[in-house]
Amino acid sequence: MSLKWPLWIGLYVVLGVLVPWATALSWAHQHGSEMRPRVRQLFQRGELGLVGLVVVISVIWNLLQSQFMQQTIALAAVLLAVIGTMAGDVWIESYCRQSTGTAWNSERTWRDSRNLAFLVFTMASVVEILLDRFAKVAALWALPLQLWRSLNAPT
Amino acid sequence: MGAPAPALAKPQRPNVIVRLADGAVAVATLSLIFGLLLVFFPVAFPRIIVTSWQRGHLAVILMVLTLVLDAFLYLRASYLRSAKPTVLVAACLGSLPIIVVGGLSFLMESAVAQTISLNLPNLQARINEEVLAHTYLGLVSAVFLPFLVIRLLQQFKATS
Repeated sequence: MSLKWPLWIGLYVVLGVLVPWATALSWAHQHGSEMRPRVRQLFQRGELGLVGLVVVISVIWNLLQSQFMQQTIALAAVLLAVIGTMAGDVWIESYCRQSTGTAWNSERTWRDSRNLAFLVFTMASVVEILLDRFAKVAALWALPLQLWRSLNAPT
Repeated sequence: MGAPAPALAKPQRPNVIVRLADGAVAVATLSLIFGLLLVFFPVAFPRIIVTSWQRGHLAVILMVLTLVLDAFLYLRASYLRSAKPTVLVAACLGSLPIIVVGGLSFLMESAVAQTISLNLPNLQARINEEVLAHTYLGLVSAVFLPFLVIRLLQQFKATS
């Protein structure tokens, strides 16, 4: 199995989740604070949804550059955008509820953002695998075709 | 005879409130399984899907699969929240996966027809990849979109 996909997902998990958590721990250590935030506490307002939105944007960008047919690109991009927006919406709703003093449940916000971020990560991974497969299929004949064209080109 | 005591009156169960997180975990698990099958069986798994499409069974299989999954998720949500399933939501969940898969089948046929018309090299492999991508996207859409529609309708009903 290629290491490309675990590496790709790992990059987002490290930069989007672990680095902010390590930064919070480092801040607490630097300021002599007793605070030891867990990942769940750090993202309890639905910030994982925002991480999901960032992942979705990068996958849509890759899709737009692919050689899939327009229908396939449009369907995948719209679906990813809807799911990414829903993931980001968890953070928006949490912010609005807290700002207006409406009933807010941190447990529910954490669970919703975690589930939607999980969905975004798995969907993004599958779409990237499909993109990789298609790129290989398209490239398989690109080189012989170029060679054939260059050999048959008028001199 | 007086009115029945309040304690004896049958308690009214609230209607099920569908949450996007209910469908999200199921779709994510489905995606994970699909991704793992693609990684570990890169030839055999796509071949099963393409053969099924060539024989004309793919859309029906997807419809049945998504319908069963949506119904299971809805009943599970109602059981976990001790809430009453409503006829309207059940009808919505029963029809939307079929409409979504049916609509996306037309889109897939149009993508395949366009691929053929372009007369590109390695045509068969390109068509197979298009079918694979549409199968995955159709599966995800047919499970997730009904939940999204119901959630938005419930929110609209609550605010109006």
